[in-house]
Amino acid sequence: MKLKDIEGKLGRQLSIILSIPVVDLKPEIPLHELGVDSLSFVELLVFIEKEFKIKLMESGITREDFRTLHSLARCINKITG
Amino acid sequence: MKRYLTGIDWIIHALDYSSRKKTGIGNTSQVVLELDGFLSEEVLNERLKIIACEFPIIFGYPSRAINLCPYWKNSHKQGELRLKLHRLSSGSDFNDLMRIFSEELNKPFSNQREHLLFNLIYQGKRSFLGMIFDHRLMEARGAEAFLGLLGGGRGLSLGGSLYEPSHLNNWLDKFRAGREVNRVFLNLTEGRPRALEPVPDGVGSEFKIINFNQERSSNITQDALSQAGYLMFMPYILSKSIMILHQIFEERKILPQDYLIPVSIDTRPNDLVRKEILFNHLSFFLFRITVQEADSFQLILSSVKEQMYNQIKVRLPQAIKEASFLMRIAPLPLINSILKIMSKGNTASFSFAFVGEGAYVSNSFMQIPVKNIFHLPRVPLPPGLGIFFNQYQGNLNAVFSYAHGLLSEDEIARVSLGINSLA
Repeated sequence: MKLKDIEGKLGRQLSIILSIPVVDLKPEIPLHELGVDSLSFVELLVFIEKEFKIKLMESGITREDFRTLHSLARCINKITG
Repeated sequence: MKRYLTGIDWIIHALDYSSRKKTGIGNTSQVVLELDGFLSEEVLNERLKIIACEFPIIFGYPSRAINLCPYWKNSHKQGELRLKLHRLSSGSDFNDLMRIFSEELNKPFSNQREHLLFNLIYQGKRSFLGMIFDHRLMEARGAEAFLGLLGGGRGLSLGGSLYEPSHLNNWLDKFRAGREVNRVFLNLTEGRPRALEPVPDGVGSEFKIINFNQERSSNITQDALSQAGYLMFMPYILSKSIMILHQIFEERKILPQDYLIPVSIDTRPNDLVRKEILFNHLSFFLFRITVQEADSFQLILSSVKEQMYNQIKVRLPQAIKEASFLMRIAPLPLINSILKIMSKGNTASFSFAFVGEGAYVSNSFMQIPVKNIFHLPRVPLPPGLGIFFNQYQGNLNAVFSYAHGLLSEDEIARVSLGINSLA
């Protein structure tokens, strides 16, 4: 799957979780600045496990990989790639 | 057009019933605004009269419709929002202030249609406005939004709270959700949870407030980031709270059963909270921590994170909301008994909540700067014990709530010190 497609899927899911329009979710903005908290973050991780069949919490990726939608997508792309 | 009660509303009504039976006071809480200036009693009273006139729903009471669904019946009598005025000398301290707020919170409302009561305290050049609220009418974030409405904040409305359908449909989904909730609960509530005893009877709640300034709040955030990971603040402070209270349980040599901690959560974005101010929209996580895990912070943290992940994976908070609709047919005494049987007498070890994104977004109230907002929740008995956190303008507040007589002075001091040591 292409990086852009992964980013799109993550963006659409996060827009559902946070109830905000997908156009407001800039991929380079840190997740906490988008309003993501512990609960919504774990919801996103559960979505990633179901959609991409990877457990990010257990995959040993760094804190920086979680920081933005873009870095998350890049990380998923690397693991599934 | 009726405002039917949801299943979650009905659970809150059951807690209210239980609290009323045990202590004579319902399931109430108080939200306090610390104001940096003089708030005029006359101006506030005028505003309260307008709100009372405009929104009779706040004087409603529960009833059953012909379809047997509980609903919130609007009062046809004109209600009054009472405001009590207290004056403290400029030499008084925070303990004097807390004494008044606690005393007022530990009194019952004057009748079945009263669900809100205001306390205005003048202390030197500062004013403190406390709003005691009935949890059946609103939850903590709703209470913050209601104060915003009272203060003349924009974009706030009670409109979204005036109507709720009966939800007498999609029964298969509700039964499926019930099966899921039952499966998780049976697993989590096996055995009696560890709880402080003896549980005092018919007494009030007391509180310790620990306010962390911007620098100390930032230190806690940094510690949470380095020890629990990115966006893991709630699991971090919950784990710390378990660790702090575990010391007290251990020293009392209470039977080493597992801890059971319900955590209330509100998944709604702030925009929605500001439109649906009234009634209950929360759900719950339920964490079980063994005594062996509680000896190590890392073990508690990893267990909390894993349980949170698994409960979100099976959509437990949503399933609780859905399944609780099935309970509305049962009268409150019956629900109370069922909850008691399920938990073998002890409903939980203690309660915990974290209001991350508060719903009071303005930095002033009626043109007076707001310095802080904190909550004083009475925890229903049992367990009569809870730790709660909220944030306002980057400052973190911790509130330790306990039933009078449940803890010794030394234990209270040590829990307060433990919370203080977070930063």
